[in-house]
Amino acid sequence: MSTTNAGLAKKLGYKNVRVYLEGEPAWSKAGYPTYTSKGYIDTGNIVLIDIRASHKAVEGRIKRAVSIPYDDLEDRIDDIPRNSPVILYSDDQEEATDAVDDLRSDGFKHVALVPGNYAGWVSAGGAIETGPIASTEIRWQRILGKGEVSVADFKKATDGGDPNVFVIDSRTKEEVAELGIFKNTTNIPLDEITSRMNELPKDKKIYVHCSTGARADMAYQELKKNGFDVKFLLLNIEEAECDCEILRP
Amino acid sequence: MQIHPKKIILLGIIALFTFTGCASDKAQAPTAVKPVTEKAEKVFKGKIAGKSNKAKSISIVVGKGDKAKTVMLKFDDSTKGLEFAKKGSAAIIKYDIKDGEKFATIIKPKLAKLPAGVTEIKTEELRGLYENHADMTVIDARPASRYAQARLPGAISIPVPEMKMGKETVLPANKEQLLVFYCGGPT
Repeated sequence: MSTTNAGLAKKLGYKNVRVYLEGEPAWSKAGYPTYTSKGYIDTGNIVLIDIRASHKAVEGRIKRAVSIPYDDLEDRIDDIPRNSPVILYSDDQEEATDAVDDLRSDGFKHVALVPGNYAGWVSAGGAIETGPIASTEIRWQRILGKGEVSVADFKKATDGGDPNVFVIDSRTKEEVAELGIFKNTTNIPLDEITSRMNELPKDKKIYVHCSTGARADMAYQELKKNGFDVKFLLLNIEEAECDCEILRP
Repeated sequence: MQIHPKKIILLGIIALFTFTGCASDKAQAPTAVKPVTEKAEKVFKGKIAGKSNKAKSISIVVGKGDKAKTVMLKFDDSTKGLEFAKKGSAAIIKYDIKDGEKFATIIKPKLAKLPAGVTEIKTEELRGLYENHADMTVIDARPASRYAQARLPGAISIPVPEMKMGKETVLPANKEQLLVFYCGGPT
């Protein structure tokens, strides 16, 4: 992609054209800050955090920002959903980049800054709110990706509450033998999915799970290609969020 | 093994639509139609969608846009280059059909080819240019939505389709100025 553009620029007569092949992921991984756009701050499914002192946030903050002063960030870090994109701003660039670093080293993958921090936002005409802060609770819901089943729907199926669903556990036989299996679930290891498709009902919805979602995703792709009405669970099944009943061996 | 001519053409078509990530799309295009005349080689090019050691399976996304589809292949210890089957990486997988299933034989990374006269820049050198306030324009070639989420400092957005349609008017008038293009990386 970047090479295509670089080639076009060269054709246009630009003499000094280079390509940063490693791209944005390498930049973030090296610990350098990335920046986000106004539209994304306004409407994106993000966690927006004001890390300035709270009295400054009371005086004025970006609309829908949560106030977590930098000194409290470490204590509150587990309140921020791990897979949410986090956008931060401060009034001190060094503090802002430190906070980016802290979150990234804690495992957050999508962390970016507001360009120019709070002042940059105000001068760009961004929406602000003022006055007392009622709550610093973080409300963020992941939007289900393509082909994903919600945990609630999945749980309903394994609980036996949805007879129109056929649930597949795509882990290996060994894993199932050791850890048990959810109720109303059939074990078809991922590597057997292609050869055992004849066992699957064409008139039911199919949910696939594994231990984290990786194999379930692969099985989902394979079944979808073969015309099944299928969804997969993208969740580490050891997490508390999935308290589906397990039949122990 | 006897392969139906239709299948060979299909493979050629699949190969044509398998360009993702930062890899150049021009470099490989001419070879994509060749299999019709040569001995057909079973190969998938695309982005690795997943790899499971437990299930000994790799899935790879081939094709672009609406034509994109995921293909699953088996592997074992005899498969070469398994280290290149990393989720999100662009790869070329050669395979055979064993017991009716696709079996990966050799996996190679798909490397981006630089256009003539264009050189690569690495992270630290780019960082140095920022620190020295070098006279440069940094251009994000990814789709606008990705640019909106996280971009390099001061980068402008020119997605590839827009560059092709002539949005280069936003590039500096001075053709001597350094331009640095980037996207989502090879991984």
